[in-house]
Amino acid sequence: MRIQHIKELYDYRNLIWVLAWTDFKERYKNSVLGYFWSLLEPLLMLGVLYIVFSNLMKVQVEHYQLFLLQGIIMWSFFTRSTSGSLYALKFKTPLIKKVYFPRDILVISSCITALLMSIFESIVFLVFLLFFMIPLSLNILFLPVIIFLYFIIALGTSLVLSALNVFYHDIQYIWALVLQVGFFATPVIYPLNVFPQYLQDILKYNPLAQVIYLARDVTLYSKVPNLASFLFVIFIAMIILGIGYAIFMRLEPRFAEEV
Amino acid sequence: MNIIEVEHLHKVFRIPHEKRNTLFETIAGLLRPPVYETFHALKDINFTVEEGEMLGIIGQNGSGKSTLLKILARILVPTEGLVRVKKRVTPFLELGVGFNQDFTAAENIRIYGIIMGLSPREIDEKSDYILEFADLVKFRDTKLRNFSSGMQVRLAFSTAIQTRPQILLLDEVLAVGDQEFQKKCLEELERFKREGVTIILVSHDLGAVKQHCERTLLLDHGVQVMIGETDEVVERYEKVG
Repeated sequence: MRIQHIKELYDYRNLIWVLAWTDFKERYKNSVLGYFWSLLEPLLMLGVLYIVFSNLMKVQVEHYQLFLLQGIIMWSFFTRSTSGSLYALKFKTPLIKKVYFPRDILVISSCITALLMSIFESIVFLVFLLFFMIPLSLNILFLPVIIFLYFIIALGTSLVLSALNVFYHDIQYIWALVLQVGFFATPVIYPLNVFPQYLQDILKYNPLAQVIYLARDVTLYSKVPNLASFLFVIFIAMIILGIGYAIFMRLEPRFAEEV
Repeated sequence: MNIIEVEHLHKVFRIPHEKRNTLFETIAGLLRPPVYETFHALKDINFTVEEGEMLGIIGQNGSGKSTLLKILARILVPTEGLVRVKKRVTPFLELGVGFNQDFTAAENIRIYGIIMGLSPREIDEKSDYILEFADLVKFRDTKLRNFSSGMQVRLAFSTAIQTRPQILLLDEVLAVGDQEFQKKCLEELERFKREGVTIILVSHDLGAVKQHCERTLLLDHGVQVMIGETDEVVERYEKVG
């Protein structure tokens, strides 16, 4: 059944892409500054956080500007994909009620939209990389794999959220809270070693923390990815995707009657 | 060959008395089982459709025609019974599903065409013809929000008609546009029929059903009253009122 489903998704690849691409375009269509906005947002955030954390909190991290920027871009991907997916089914009610296609397509394409936005934002990151002349190594070739695993984690989470949000309207509020806590439990603006040891021992099981560490290691610090974290992330990504699909598929038959 | 087989099909909708819309309400209400009202939308439907046939479905509002089409299109899931559909179904249940008002006509042809199952290549080849058929060539780069509803429907129909359906489900969509456009639509429909496409037509327009469908299914409050030669079925329907 799994293989069959993947084949079906492949048959619908054009639909996945057109939905993702139109959402991406639509986001900037009606704003005066257009695409420029999406570059301005991470830059502004970077400026504020950099001033606060490097001067007031005295965070001591090598290449802190880039550490911060990569953290922000990667964290935004997760919040965008999951929060966007909360409405992936609801905002497409006419599609669900009038045509057939595998419903997970809506969630997949919503995650792809988030990914497109993050890739676009990464232009700023690239400029910074060049500007600060950070030496890169071949280890950066691991980055696409890490991003792929990150995408899978976001997709699995989004599948659960989108399906539940059809039936329970308060999921969006609960999720906003979870994200707020998650932001501080993830090394976006500081490394986890600012916490006392017992907290670090708990937080290292946060898969997002591991993903962001891996990504930073291969881009900013020319390190080979840590095998243990790498395997941990692969394992977690599979589990989350599995759970995501199990819940989504169970609720799917009722979507057309409930949205 | 039977291309569609429906056996003992039932569809029951559950309408909860008190709708629990939040996780909180659901948890708080765990001890009180929810009270449902059931609505039996389709009761024991049985029929088959031959390949290349054109079947009409008639009945009053609320008789279950649209529910039946949605089940054939895999949008709704049967509560009981068996539905076998052996080829790809193209549903025209509503025209212009997925149209985006902020995009131009050409962009919307692309989006809608892909939703209806065309490939990007086919769309590139046909988009000029689609605009021509819809008589909207001048408005290729106009945003859809500036279109009248009639123009939007014409654009949608012209795009949808470009798909190469194997089984076509039509729900009242023939009643679009002015006389001249309707005539063009019916010509396209006849072309599909000649090409051997299986068509199921839901309509209140008994004249159209009589003209196009060999066989017709009559539904009344979810019950299959009769299926057979269109003339006899329509006569029965008109007699019962």
